Amino acid sequence: MTIDGVDVRRVFEPGSTAELAEMIGAAKGPLAPFGSGTRLSFGNPLGAVDAAVDTRRLDRITEYVPADMTVHVEAGVRLGQLQDTLREQNQMLPLDPWCGREATVGGIIATNSQGPFRAVGTIRDWILGMRVVHADGRTSRTGGRVVKNVTGYDLAKLYTGSLGSLGVIAEVSLKVRARYDGTASARIRLPDFASAADMIRALRAAPLDPVSLIWTGPMNEIRIRFGEHASAVRWQVGQLPEGDWETFDSESEPDLWDDARAFYDRLPEPVVRVVARPSQVPDVVSRFRPAAWMAHAGNGILLMSSTPEQIPALRREFPVVLERASLGVRTTIPTFGMRGVGYETMRRLKAALDPEGRINPGRHVDGETGE
Amino acid sequence: MHKEVIRELVAIVGDSRATTDETELLVYECDALALFRHKPDAVVFPTTTEEVARIVRVANAYGVPFLPRGAGTGLSGGAMAAEGGIIVELQKMNRILSIDPTDRIAVLQPGVVNQHVSQAAARYGLYYAPDPSSQIACSIGGNVAENSGGPHCLKYGMTTNHVLALEVVMADGRVARLGNAAGEPVGYDLVGVVVGSEGTFAIVTEATVRLLPRPQAVKTLLAAFSSLEDSSQAVSDIVGEGIVPAALELVDRRTTEAVEASVYRAGYRLDAAASLLIEVDGFDVAIAETVDAIVGICRQNRSFDIRVARHEEERARLWMGRKGAFGAMGRLSPDMIVMDAVIPRTRLPEVMARIASLSEEYCLPVANVFHAGDGNLHPLILFDSRDSGQVERIHQMGEAIMSLCVGVGGALSGEHGIGVEKKEFMGMVFSEDDLDVMRRVRDVFNPRGLLNPGKIFPTRGACTEVGPGVIRTEEARRRVDRYVLGTEAAG
Repeated sequence: MTIDGVDVRRVFEPGSTAELAEMIGAAKGPLAPFGSGTRLSFGNPLGAVDAAVDTRRLDRITEYVPADMTVHVEAGVRLGQLQDTLREQNQMLPLDPWCGREATVGGIIATNSQGPFRAVGTIRDWILGMRVVHADGRTSRTGGRVVKNVTGYDLAKLYTGSLGSLGVIAEVSLKVRARYDGTASARIRLPDFASAADMIRALRAAPLDPVSLIWTGPMNEIRIRFGEHASAVRWQVGQLPEGDWETFDSESEPDLWDDARAFYDRLPEPVVRVVARPSQVPDVVSRFRPAAWMAHAGNGILLMSSTPEQIPALRREFPVVLERASLGVRTTIPTFGMRGVGYETMRRLKAALDPEGRINPGRHVDGETGE
Repeated sequence: MHKEVIRELVAIVGDSRATTDETELLVYECDALALFRHKPDAVVFPTTTEEVARIVRVANAYGVPFLPRGAGTGLSGGAMAAEGGIIVELQKMNRILSIDPTDRIAVLQPGVVNQHVSQAAARYGLYYAPDPSSQIACSIGGNVAENSGGPHCLKYGMTTNHVLALEVVMADGRVARLGNAAGEPVGYDLVGVVVGSEGTFAIVTEATVRLLPRPQAVKTLLAAFSSLEDSSQAVSDIVGEGIVPAALELVDRRTTEAVEASVYRAGYRLDAAASLLIEVDGFDVAIAETVDAIVGICRQNRSFDIRVARHEEERARLWMGRKGAFGAMGRLSPDMIVMDAVIPRTRLPEVMARIASLSEEYCLPVANVFHAGDGNLHPLILFDSRDSGQVERIHQMGEAIMSLCVGVGGALSGEHGIGVEKKEFMGMVFSEDDLDVMRRVRDVFNPRGLLNPGKIFPTRGACTEVGPGVIRTEEARRRVDRYVLGTEAAG
């Protein structure tokens, strides 16, 4: 198989954390872990590897205590499989990354993948603990299985978004929540950019607590979703600022969000994630004029089509991550654009936990020059 | 400490903001965990990030240990100079640098008092959610170091869920800005790992935090139960019903007696074995329904008295009992130690029963007042520090409680941290490999080990010679097994 253009001769398929540890410990060369492979082109270009580690056989939900609202899963469990299990107990994980239901929990964590639920948080907010297999084959644990815990350093934060570069995520404990008592969504299409920006401002100032707020362009469309107590959801829909809103109940809303997902998938590459403040989003769009874009309007996260020429200019003002870009673009432009003491600290973290640079070589900080 | 070090420190902050006076240093020999004491050699009071950085560089130049300190309200010895050296006291860096009501963020110096943030944000209809019980005194820098919680973190999360970006002075004196106002990690999440590192990774000199809009409606109720089991079951049922209260606190009979006899008198029922203080918030249209559902669940679990606060004054009074509980304990005993442990919520009844029997076994009274909703226990052990026998038993009983909690799948600390208090218990939950990875990460941030040494990691477990009172990691694990299985575990 090939991963990110790199030929891989051998693929390990461990069926347990112990097997995973044994395989990594016994292998001598560099390795590339992967799950469902939905985001294998995220990150700096992968260096040469001897083998890949397929985590999809680590697919057991090993402990689920609905009354404690905690679940312990192996990293290869698919998000859809997990949500279905939780749903049987009227519970859920408020996480709907663009990479979809087929993505593995381990992969979502390693790539810190997000979707419309970004408005209420990211996977980091739901992780209680983790078991990770390091490059030397040793397994370590951080956190625990209880919902509140400050025992030892919170290394799960480091592993989240690390692309597996500090160790392969093997097991994860998650906090879950009750499913929303009710949900509803609404969509509005505004005539121009300025009126869409005004609408976003009005929505942010209104007494609303949306679980999703997505602004897409250039068609000036806003999607909003409410979830919680059914009566509170109805009330919030009634409070939407005046406009030509189309509303969707829990039956009809999935189409609206599937459509948003399709829009994300179609954003012309390279797509960058610009990290700004919510109030800066209109300014970024009007100055950098992306061909198409999607903003988590309540959080200041802007996913926009960009160009290799534009990215350095964006980076002079904002942190910018290459969300989706061809191998060619990623070869010339670093994915994270890290700098300064932060970059230097990240380099040393990688060296401390993977001294020989064996796991996902080149993918993360070891693929950047810090300039 | 070398005279030259003092001279250089004074050159940075001036005479009036540095002290080596033995009497003044006494104030800094411990934090709110008075059981562990060690005097620093000097305390300095910087007012700028640059001063902090220069102090840290001096400490490095002479190889002197140093550590940050805020209000000293910590309960695990995190701000105690375990190996002497310099305490960098940040209370004079106490300005709220900005509040942005549009983007709902506040930029704070580390010495800002927790409660002052919400007070300052109130005029925009915003507040800062983490509310440790010490919030009238504790500082933001300390909250970040300890990843502090509080009653309302049941719904809103801990400090880590509200810190977006940090300015820090690294252990070598360099200044770094980590994170961003969107709270979106770019590269490894350094903010996430510095929060909760108990002042061993870096010194926080500025924190950017998230503010939340004040909820439209807040309702607080108090439900009295004649048994701990019934109250614990009510806790499970409320959460199991899908209701996420803003806070869900349990106060037992002994605590009630102390509170009701004190200035914190809140009208808790003295004939209740346990009372639940429950707060819900949200939209006006939904709140009554939520309160009704909770009242129904409490009744089903045989609550014999349920009071819903009718106005703000009544609500404040109900909370006063909870928040003043620690202070009220002085009436019952000259000293007390607040334990902090977490268990899965569903194990509450059995763990409470075991703690009661441990209390008898060690002849030390225990009062319980804690965050029941997330299983975060706070047994308060009452004792007299003048009685050396009692102090010895405190340590033993503390360990027994920890073993019990870890044994049911819990954790050593929910919000107070490990510090010096629990470092020897770390072997109960973490293997040598787990601790080794944590040490390697610490060494990246703090390579010379000068920043807040003597914390978090067990030292006794590594001893080759085991003396009296010394517990080896292996031995600690065996003890856990004993509490779990009720027998001596094999091997």
